[in-house]
Amino acid sequence: MKSKKSWLIMLLLMFVFGVLAACSGNKEPASSNEEGSSDKEPVSGGTVVGAMDTAPTGLFNPIFYTEAYESNILSFTHEGLLTQDKNLDFIPNLAKEWSFNDDQTEVTFTLDENAKWHDGEPFTANDVVFTYKTIASPGYVEAGGVRTQYVERLLGYEDFSTGKTTDFQGVVAVDDHTVTFKFAQPNVLALSDASFMIIPEHIFKDIPIAEIPEAGASRNPGEVIGTGPFQFSEMVQGEQYVLKKFADYWQGEPKLDSVIWKVVDQAVILGLLENGEIDFVADPNGFQAADYETVDALENVEIIEQPDFGYQTMGMMHNHRSKEDSEAGTINPENWTVNEKLKDQKVRQAIAYAINRQGLVDGLLYGRGIVQNSPIATQFWAYDDTTPNQYEFDPEKAKSLLDEAGYKDVNGDGFREDPNGKEWVLNLNYPLGNQIRERSAPIIEEFLEEVGISIDLRQPKEAAAYFEDLEKNSQDWDLYLIGWSLDSTDPDPSGLWSSMAGYNYSRWNNPEADQLLKDAFSPPDAFEQDFRKQKYSEWQVEFGEDLPSLILYAANSLWAHNKRLQGIDVLPYSFLNDTHLWYVTE
Amino acid sequence: MYKYLIRRVLIFIPMLLALTIIVFALIQAAPGDPISGKIFDPNIDPEVFEKQKEALGLNDPIHVQYWNWLKDVMQGDFGKSFIFKGRDVSDLIAERIGNTFYLGIFTLFITIIVSIPIGIYSARKPYSILDYGATTFGFFGLAVPNFFFGLVAIYVFSIQLGWLPSQGSVSSPGLTGIELFFNKLQHLILPGLTLGLAGTASYMRFMRSEVLDVLGSDYIRTARAKGMTDRSVLYKHTLRNALIPIITLLGFEIGALLSGAVITEGVFQYPGIGTLFLSSIGNRDYPVIMAINLMLGFFILLGNLLADIFYSIVDPRIRYD
Repeated sequence: MKSKKSWLIMLLLMFVFGVLAACSGNKEPASSNEEGSSDKEPVSGGTVVGAMDTAPTGLFNPIFYTEAYESNILSFTHEGLLTQDKNLDFIPNLAKEWSFNDDQTEVTFTLDENAKWHDGEPFTANDVVFTYKTIASPGYVEAGGVRTQYVERLLGYEDFSTGKTTDFQGVVAVDDHTVTFKFAQPNVLALSDASFMIIPEHIFKDIPIAEIPEAGASRNPGEVIGTGPFQFSEMVQGEQYVLKKFADYWQGEPKLDSVIWKVVDQAVILGLLENGEIDFVADPNGFQAADYETVDALENVEIIEQPDFGYQTMGMMHNHRSKEDSEAGTINPENWTVNEKLKDQKVRQAIAYAINRQGLVDGLLYGRGIVQNSPIATQFWAYDDTTPNQYEFDPEKAKSLLDEAGYKDVNGDGFREDPNGKEWVLNLNYPLGNQIRERSAPIIEEFLEEVGISIDLRQPKEAAAYFEDLEKNSQDWDLYLIGWSLDSTDPDPSGLWSSMAGYNYSRWNNPEADQLLKDAFSPPDAFEQDFRKQKYSEWQVEFGEDLPSLILYAANSLWAHNKRLQGIDVLPYSFLNDTHLWYVTE
Repeated sequence: MYKYLIRRVLIFIPMLLALTIIVFALIQAAPGDPISGKIFDPNIDPEVFEKQKEALGLNDPIHVQYWNWLKDVMQGDFGKSFIFKGRDVSDLIAERIGNTFYLGIFTLFITIIVSIPIGIYSARKPYSILDYGATTFGFFGLAVPNFFFGLVAIYVFSIQLGWLPSQGSVSSPGLTGIELFFNKLQHLILPGLTLGLAGTASYMRFMRSEVLDVLGSDYIRTARAKGMTDRSVLYKHTLRNALIPIITLLGFEIGALLSGAVITEGVFQYPGIGTLFLSSIGNRDYPVIMAINLMLGFFILLGNLLADIFYSIVDPRIRYD
């Protein structure tokens, strides 16, 4: 009996010591990082750890991924022919140079001869053809792909994607290092279209398209092959993703040995940044604006703050789509019914004046954001911050506009009635999922009630339910909150705001505005940036006048990194740029 | 006994079938679908999403969808996740069930090791200092929310002291053997303690009141009157009877153990079933929701069955034929 007991105690002690010993071994690297600063010597090699707050779903194939978390990893492993510089102009990447033909329907790229895939195979024009051909193939969308926007302007896309022909004419390899993109019409977006990440033909050519998403080459470390400076080498699914340097990288051997992405809860990111367990935090969520002061006070951490490519907006329903059309997915402005409650332009303008948007930015975002007036990202050359109406907060003006429009309080209940003296209540809907936006909804309600507009603030719904309602059951909606994240490649807003766009949930139907968007896209004039700029400026004025939506604010991206991580060259849309030049100081 | 067992196991089948019908109907009745909630990039044509819904069979009538699902499940195929595109649901679950299981066992181990002895002691010496101490701890454990205790534990033990890792289930890929074992164990300590806190508190209170109850009963007085030692009164008579309700609780615990602990897993980014379950509900990932529900249903039934069997071992009055 006695010996049995002591044996148990021994075992327990071994356990405890074993764990403690393993613990103390773990502690070392964490503490040695603590005081990294810029005046220290660069060291060769080294590892940096990035943090993201949600695990990627695990599809590391550029043509099938859909998430920012996956994009974090793909930015290290894959590349496109072109990339964008600080001014958002396209600059060479895998393609060294390019030239357009006379009528701008073709663009020919010369590829870099030194580029290699991670498995040592040379990168060639056939890989480019294969990538675009796959995206254009029948069955691509059904397999889960969503990137058809990159191929739909290619010559013969319609026939190829529907299976009418097996002859893909859109992208043609001239020789191993020359590839030509052919478009159905002169294409203003030619460079943007050609900038998509390239996948290796020799890996994927024998896999049927429906099976590509589940193939090991799209998922497993060691099997995911790109041309980027780092290769995906190891992972603990859902926790950690290890990227090792690719020594044969065509732009030179990366200075770091490896980059590790760890999945870390939002609540502990700051603590881990402080003690050096993680070196950087970036998209999609960075750190919270409320924590800015705290992060700023950390001696070993540097903040990168810049405007985001997305905005939050409050849509105003101009028209409603009928239930039948919604079910069928038809977009036909002739079948739309006018939203009587918001049909007066003055009313919409009054709403814009009544909301203190700077107040929202200061109060909810701690000032880490900007008030934006039109739905084009402010970083773009196309954004016009002067000519369109800026709608400075002015409740008095809002009241007088409402009075002018005939919306007056006739029964003395404190809220305005419509010009016929009938009850006038605007429904305000909003989704869950973005805390700042959730908190802004009741504040907006208050601003509007302040000027006498009666608001019915509806119960918020989670994204899956909200979007379904917005799409199909929004016949009694008036105001709705929504956030859009935009692409950095081109400022064209027609995917959201032209009358025929599916995402034009306000069902805004303004022929003049539509025409301006079309003009800004029509060759040959549209190849002049100044011409497009002029058209977009006129369109933004029209948008501001007619107000299908009031753009509320654009939150700043808040990224942070340990000062020991050097060589970072931040771009407006990302700081995962030229990562082969990143290095660490110890 | 065997007859009884076979009967009980056969009853599982209609019960699980009913469970799947109810859950399937409920999740389909909830607004939204796996595709609509994913709208994120205005450059993607909404038609693309429409086509994908069609391809996934989401536009079929609900009974057709259920039948298709059931047919596949009968053949052991739980389908593919909508959100983790192209991944088999069974793979997704298999990958995480281990983590959840370790965490559950570790938590249960802590809970039992700590709560039962303290509970017994408190009952034998009620209103002693240790009893008051244990009661205070019990209320503290029940009152403090898990996530809060978890964050405090991370702050103290990981960030300030640097003793224990705070996130994930393992430090780096590629560990093997004994190193892997200890590394995983280290990662279990903080979430295990956090989860164990509330469990320990409630089991301890339970144990205390059960033992007190039994100690006051007639047969204990009789045993004492016969001149039995305190020790054998406690172990032979009191414990056996006091453990019966605890076994019922533990039976339920098996289901709870595998369903994971959503909030704690979140705070520690410990990849288990709980976080998968929660995110699949938010994303309307129907095949994953169904598979996890079916699994949980099965284990809860199994847990109850085991509890019933244990009754007969602990309490000779209970017999099944």
